Amino acid sequence: MTAGARSLGFARDRPSELRFLDPAVLARLGTLELKARAVVEGLLSGLHRSPFKGFSVEFAEYRQYLPGDDLSAIDWKVYARTDRHYVKKFEEETNVDCYLLLDISASMGYGSRGVTKLEYGGLLAASLAFLMNRQRDAVALTTFDDAIVTMVPPSARPSHLRSILVTLDRTTLGHRTDVSKPLHVLADGISKRGLVVFISDLLDEPGRVIDGLRHFRFRGSEVIVFHLMDPAELTFPFDRASRFRDLELGDEVMAVPSVVRQDYLDAVNGAIDRYKQELGSEGIDYRLVDTSTPLEFALISYLSTRGRRR
Amino acid sequence: MPAFLSPLFLIGAAAAAIPIAIHLFYRRTEPVIDFAAMRYLRRAPVEHSRRRRLRELVLLALRAGALVLLALAFARPYIADPVAARSGDATLVMVDTSASLSAPGRFEAARERARRAIEDAPATHAVGLATFAQALDVVTPVSQDRAGALAALAQIKPGAGATRYRAALQGAADALDGRSGRIVVITDLQQSGWDAASDAGIPESIAVAVEDIGAPETNLGVTSLRVDGAEAVAVVQNFSARPATDQVIFAIDAQRVGAVPVALAAGANVEARVPLVNTASGGLSASIGDRDGYSADNARYAVLDAADAISVLAVTPTGHPSEALYLERALTIAEGTRGFRFRSLGGAGFTAIEPGTLDQVGVIAMLSTRAVAQRGRERLAEFVRGGGGLLVAAGPDVDAAILKDALAGLVETSWEARPAQTLTFAPDDSRHPVFRVFGGAGTLANVGFSRAVRMTAPASASVIARYSDGSPALVEERTTGGRVLVFGSDLNYRGNDFPLQPGFVPFIHEAIRYLASQRTSRTEYLVGELQAATVPGVITLPAPASRRIAVNVDPRESDPGRMTPDTFQAGISRLNAAAARDEETAAKEREDGQFLWRYGLLLMVVSLAAEGVLGRRLG
Repeated sequence: MTAGARSLGFARDRPSELRFLDPAVLARLGTLELKARAVVEGLLSGLHRSPFKGFSVEFAEYRQYLPGDDLSAIDWKVYARTDRHYVKKFEEETNVDCYLLLDISASMGYGSRGVTKLEYGGLLAASLAFLMNRQRDAVALTTFDDAIVTMVPPSARPSHLRSILVTLDRTTLGHRTDVSKPLHVLADGISKRGLVVFISDLLDEPGRVIDGLRHFRFRGSEVIVFHLMDPAELTFPFDRASRFRDLELGDEVMAVPSVVRQDYLDAVNGAIDRYKQELGSEGIDYRLVDTSTPLEFALISYLSTRGRRR
Repeated sequence: MPAFLSPLFLIGAAAAAIPIAIHLFYRRTEPVIDFAAMRYLRRAPVEHSRRRRLRELVLLALRAGALVLLALAFARPYIADPVAARSGDATLVMVDTSASLSAPGRFEAARERARRAIEDAPATHAVGLATFAQALDVVTPVSQDRAGALAALAQIKPGAGATRYRAALQGAADALDGRSGRIVVITDLQQSGWDAASDAGIPESIAVAVEDIGAPETNLGVTSLRVDGAEAVAVVQNFSARPATDQVIFAIDAQRVGAVPVALAAGANVEARVPLVNTASGGLSASIGDRDGYSADNARYAVLDAADAISVLAVTPTGHPSEALYLERALTIAEGTRGFRFRSLGGAGFTAIEPGTLDQVGVIAMLSTRAVAQRGRERLAEFVRGGGGLLVAAGPDVDAAILKDALAGLVETSWEARPAQTLTFAPDDSRHPVFRVFGGAGTLANVGFSRAVRMTAPASASVIARYSDGSPALVEERTTGGRVLVFGSDLNYRGNDFPLQPGFVPFIHEAIRYLASQRTSRTEYLVGELQAATVPGVITLPAPASRRIAVNVDPRESDPGRMTPDTFQAGISRLNAAAARDEETAAKEREDGQFLWRYGLLLMVVSLAAEGVLGRRLG
């Protein structure tokens, strides 16, 4: 398999961008609401609650004036009618800037059951983009390997979804994984707090990955991590002595699976546990996604979790 | 330069291809799987392909190496002489200095031919000078120093040795040391010089040129001198084709005792006799005055001394006198011509003994085999084969296995230790010369043995005394050489009280005399036969022999019969044909001495062991 040249190429018999919009997936997603855990400031009204009451246009309630309230918030018309001071309160509905970060390093080209991690991650990103676009959220897309490869700026326009889908469709595998550098660059480039969706196989030094994601949190963004792993990576099902060739580096190691399996699985589980713990402690949602499970399950289970935590 | 005794076995080295083929086969069938999560896999005990490949190559090299080493070991490698290292052509001039060159004017002619040969040698050749008779003697080694060779040529003189062309040519080939070139043989082409008993070979790359200096037409020689009763008898032979007359002068210790005129027909010989009155000892000589023939054969010598004392050499553990004390005392008690000359040597000393020393020894008493190395064992076997007597005392210091190994084919009697028990011994055959003096068993019946070995005598041997339990006590081996007696106990008062018994001294005397009788002490030797025998005459041998011997010219040297240069060259051709066989024999000897195949097998075992360890690691 030539990892570097592989395109996402989802459809051949109809416009490729529509392939992402699997009706079954979208139908299920349409019954749920994706809501950001934290309310961020946005430009458009929507389902998201703003923490900055009084600065939006939609009336929420009246409250009796209390010393210390801003005098400009007093509704003088009500005062004229009731001779009491009431303060007008607003609940601002906002949209978030949603940044989809997709890892396209060579290791994402691995797939033991027909679909590679890159294909799976691309579909996941497309689904999320569609969903967010439908919610009028501004969606941005960034692909990266050891550097940023493509970047589609955030926009909530309906036509913007097409740009993202086209970009995803044209994505090919990159080089080796080095998420730290692009994460820090992106974190510095995001001016507004928003929602960062990080889709990667996380085959990098966990400390560096966590540092990069922590940077987003430092800038006030909410972060969701989809950790994509192929089932073969999770179970190491090989049975005969083989030479395993690194998709990114090209070097080979000789291993007898029955001998190394337990050590390998311990290392994988150790990394997963570390991501869970350290990302959780940073307030970052971590989701391990087995690429053999239907995409709907991954999205639904995630959104269900988000819904319960809202 | 490495060479192989059985190079065909090197074909077996092709078996090294087997592990290589297996390696390549398995290498192809090992699948390669592209994998992404390598960072986790590397934490498991995997092996990096580069390192593994290196190990596999080492493993492969060890396996292939083991097979190659096995093939090499079977091919019997050895390091050949660095013949190829020698370069440059050479001319070796060999001048005949045998007794036949003592004819008037012959040696001067030879010297002149040699001078010309040196001067006429090709300019590119190094030149060497050698003389020869029964062997080659290099006067100036092969070099560019022709002036030195010419100067040395002026100093050489004719000797009294016999001509032995094969030995001389072999020495010349050795002296050239692998160089190509030519050998110039300056000789009288004496027919008797071809000695069929010796073998030699010279390389094909060496040409042989013969310079014939001719021979005298007549020669009279004294070919024999002996004592016949009360007379001295000399034999004079006329080697020419015409009659001759001369006078034989007899002398004892340079005192003339008689002169006998002789007249000889062509090719005839006559005896000249003179009476010897009251003469029991001295050096006898008989000489003639032949001026035209070889002067070296004009005299012959003989020794009138009575039979000499028997020389006995005892081999003990260290050579300390106490280790053969009783034997020494028993032997030194005898005096005069019935006496013995005793000497003891440790095993190491016996091993290092000079080759000619044992010529003067009549009997070896083997009281110990300790520190007798291979060379010493070979000397012992040569001694017995040469007619020497051997008395073995099967005491605690004599190892039967060593003795059997040393005297394989000569001595088959073996023995083993047995528990201490009190025994006596008695002759099995009282008429045997060793026991004849006792006239019965009475004297020996008092000898008590506390330790004795249990001997097993082969059918070819005779048991001449037995212990009281019927087992052999004294065994005589019948060999093609000297006599051998094996005594089943110690002779130094350790396993028996024999040395303290009155029968010990006569037993030892008779046994030694019996053993020595096979090897009568020679009193006449030919020139060159002994190291000390270089010129004709009567000489006294150095200690321990310390006796007089007569040294004479080989009578064959008196015969001026000649061969043609073509016959000589034909002999050279035969040498060439034999060279390949000789080379093969020499190669085998060299290989036997080097034992490189053992190292090859050892390395193979080490390779296999390393392969096992490494292979186990690879899994």
